Amino acid sequence: MKSYFASYLISHGADPAESTILIFDKNLSIGYRNDAGVNEMESWLIKDVDAVFDLPTQQTKITNRKKSGSVIFIPGKEALVYINELQAEQQKAWHKRKGGKEWVRNFLLLIGILGLLFLLYLLIVPWLSEKMASKVSVKTEQQLGDAVYSSMNLDQQEDAAATAVLNEFFRTMKVPTAYDIRITVVNDNVVNAFALPGGRIVVYTALLKQIKTYPELAALLSHEFTHINNKHSTKSIFRRLGSKVFISLLFGRFGSVSSVLINHADDLRSLTYSRRLEKEADTEGLAILTQRKINPDGFVSLFTHLKEAAPADMLPEFLGSHPDIDKRIAYIKEASREAAVEEDAQLKAIFEKLK
Amino acid sequence: MLITTTSAVDGRPVQEYLGVINAQSIIGANIFKDIFAGLRDVFGGRSKTYERVLEEAKEDALRELSQKAQAMGANGILGVDLDFETIGSGGSMLMVIATGTAVRL
Repeated sequence: MKSYFASYLISHGADPAESTILIFDKNLSIGYRNDAGVNEMESWLIKDVDAVFDLPTQQTKITNRKKSGSVIFIPGKEALVYINELQAEQQKAWHKRKGGKEWVRNFLLLIGILGLLFLLYLLIVPWLSEKMASKVSVKTEQQLGDAVYSSMNLDQQEDAAATAVLNEFFRTMKVPTAYDIRITVVNDNVVNAFALPGGRIVVYTALLKQIKTYPELAALLSHEFTHINNKHSTKSIFRRLGSKVFISLLFGRFGSVSSVLINHADDLRSLTYSRRLEKEADTEGLAILTQRKINPDGFVSLFTHLKEAAPADMLPEFLGSHPDIDKRIAYIKEASREAAVEEDAQLKAIFEKLK
Repeated sequence: MLITTTSAVDGRPVQEYLGVINAQSIIGANIFKDIFAGLRDVFGGRSKTYERVLEEAKEDALRELSQKAQAMGANGILGVDLDFETIGSGGSMLMVIATGTAVRL
């Protein structure tokens, strides 16, 4: 914006009125006092305006094509130059206008930086977090798992007899590991089992009651064992932490609406990761079974129990922490097609003690 | 239109005081500029993006101030003062208030 003192002739032959002219990008406004002493305002579009330099008076003369007879006189040449600049600017295509090129460049730069950040978020941060997770010692994991375990107060509901049997069962499977695997059976009507970092596996009695054969139990334990042995919980914790720190660095001062959006997007992504870990636990658990010639159908019937226990209106897969059960059954069947099966009398005998 | 921060103009005595006028402009930097500025905050250095936003808000406020003055029949604004304030949750928006006295010189 520029402003000038000028004299304004409203119509041909009228007395010049002292006025102030404000020139904006698209229009100019004229403020003056009319003959009656009342303030008046007028606005002319820059594109309707003709500006010429009047040599004898050394003034810029501005006329409006839409309003003949009205003339503005501004001393000096500066206003003429400015109006010509504005008019030239308006003639240009939008992307060539002042700031237009810069706008395009900024946009590309923005896309580039966002892409880079997204890549950082998708690849580097998880990679770094997993690296850090794998550096966590077994002892630290044990402390972490024990802290979680004791905070859950599961000891009171422990089924000591079943606990002893399951621990014996797992020891007999002779799975090599750096972890001290401690299995606890807890009285509860939830059909579930879970692993804590550092070697604790918790199995609920409701699930145990549904298990009819020893391969199912072996499948359950080897699945949970893989979670522990591959540090899945620790990796998840570090990944969550890593991406949370990264996101709060980037979007720290965001309004609540966007932070809710971003957090939920991040949650969905971590669920994808969780499903990947579950699949890993399934396939590596299956490998433990096949190496010991235990019937891999144990997984299939285990999943069937889980499916029966699940409510009918299950969440769609992309909202769940575990892969869809039918898919799990399918890939287990696919992977175990040629597995050799042999009855393990010892494991079977231990399993029978549960009854 | 003469816009000045001084209370008088040399050689041009005030003929008429038309009153105090003020104008404000509130500008959100926009999400992407916030990201850039956030990065600047992490790595240090001048945040040109925020500086430009500030400049833009100041221009807007002054433009509005001159329009108001012009509507009152003034040809000058004396004692102009610019105030900068952050508003909005998290202080993500910027407010510029321009105050001055509209006069006829």
